[in-house]
Amino acid sequence: MLHINGLTVTFGGLVAVSDVTFDMREGEVLGLVGPNGAGKTTLFNAICGLARPGSGTVELMGKNLLSMPIHHRARAGIGRAFQVPQPMHELTVRENLTVAQRFGAGKVDKAKIEELLDVLKLGHKADMDAATSLALTEQKALEVGKALATEPKLLMLDEVLAGLETTGKRAFLDTLEEVRKRYRLSVMIVEHDIETITRMCPRVLVLNFGRLIADGSPDQVFNDPEVIRSYTGGEPA
Amino acid sequence: MNKLKIPAVLVLAYLVLPLAVNGNDYVVSLIVAALTIGGIALAWSMLGNLGGMVSFGHAAFFGIGSYASALLTIKAGWPVLVSMLFAGLVAAASSIATMPALRLRGPYFALSILAYAEIFRIIATEWKGLTGGAAGILSIPRLPEIMGIDLGGKIGGYFVVVTLVIAMVGIYAVIRRSPQGLALKAMHDSEDATRVVGVNATMLKALMLVVSAFFAGLMGAFNAHYINFLEPDYAFSGSWTTLAIVAAIFGGYRTLWGPLIGALVVYLVDQLVFKAILPQGHQIILGALLGAMVLFSPTGLTPLIAKLTRLQRKETANAAH
Repeated sequence: MLHINGLTVTFGGLVAVSDVTFDMREGEVLGLVGPNGAGKTTLFNAICGLARPGSGTVELMGKNLLSMPIHHRARAGIGRAFQVPQPMHELTVRENLTVAQRFGAGKVDKAKIEELLDVLKLGHKADMDAATSLALTEQKALEVGKALATEPKLLMLDEVLAGLETTGKRAFLDTLEEVRKRYRLSVMIVEHDIETITRMCPRVLVLNFGRLIADGSPDQVFNDPEVIRSYTGGEPA
Repeated sequence: MNKLKIPAVLVLAYLVLPLAVNGNDYVVSLIVAALTIGGIALAWSMLGNLGGMVSFGHAAFFGIGSYASALLTIKAGWPVLVSMLFAGLVAAASSIATMPALRLRGPYFALSILAYAEIFRIIATEWKGLTGGAAGILSIPRLPEIMGIDLGGKIGGYFVVVTLVIAMVGIYAVIRRSPQGLALKAMHDSEDATRVVGVNATMLKALMLVVSAFFAGLMGAFNAHYINFLEPDYAFSGSWTTLAIVAAIFGGYRTLWGPLIGALVVYLVDQLVFKAILPQGHQIILGALLGAMVLFSPTGLTPLIAKLTRLQRKETANAAH
């Protein structure tokens, strides 16, 4: 479904993502891990259009994403949730979802919005100001909700569990699992918590200094000597 | 309560106010000037609130609207009201020339629009064959008489400008409630977050610039036929922008009525009170007032009044219990 080939992103002299190549199947849940500064968010940005790659290709369902502006990528099936929730200010929770649906999915389907509010447990705050009325878990849910409202094929979650306490994290993971199954989504998730990655993702990619250094099951990659070295501060092999 | 707001505004605008100031041409002309500034402030706020763009160059669209309408009536012999509408479209079309500035953000956008305003002023000055150059245009046709009301008079002019600004508020309200308006509002704080959900931010900002320029141009066209005289330094004067910005910020540029209320309060208080206290340099008191507003209520007067009203209601409810 997603084919990334030789993707490289540089900022001045810094190579943030270096010659990354991998494929992702439809319905797959893919974990993306790596130390801070490994290039995970930059890779996400390159896929959804917020960073411009110097070289390489990104294809989703046969469509070349790199030739599309950011707003077309949402229509092509890319749904992105940010690490720091970015609710649309001065808009209610329902309006946030409506804007995302109207522009991302190209339609207004009120029933679908109500369904999302229900699944994400935001119904009781639907008409409240999104920027000032939501607890952190609810802000995270709205962040995912905006991405879901665009009716994505690939849901990209960038550390959406960061900052949540254990109970909240478990509940949120259950919600994510429910939406994944309900909407038959492929999911790519950046996450630091190994337990979460192990629970959610049958396949994990590891980035270090922008390079893809491991690709396999959680058991395989977390026992890989290079991965261990990358987390303990060693130079890349 | 909300259902009563619109009839209340209409009664106030078309009945109470004209009756209250009837016969006092000076006060009527001050209110007309305040509403003209209010119209530009509204146009400016549309761009600032929906899309997050601060423009220092709305005088350009105001000036283009002024000249377009004046020239259409004088040289082409068009009826005044048709020319005014078309002048708004000319100002909107001229905004297309400023669109490369949309690639810029914050102060860079603001300054580049200011540069465009200066370019248009120079064109109006130098294109003597069309605009009359620095000497300007005299004897611009008055607003017509309709159903026995002389729109070219003080009170007639008031009815025209009040109709224009109320229509602008109505259109602004519709835009704000539309999905495009919501997206533009959202863009104000996080453009990237709106782009990734499929919003074509550049296109929407461009559309908002066109609408904003249309309204500023319409106000310019009205003003040209109201005062019947134009010259480049007046029509493209930076004061049209600065007064509008002061009014919008004072009244609350993110609210629907704030820019208009701000213009009425700021201009009338300045002209009727501060000018009497300090005939020379009375604007300094205005500056201090704006500074105080920014300090104590950064969102402006309208949100402050709403907040105080809520507090008052709460206190009344508590006292009743």
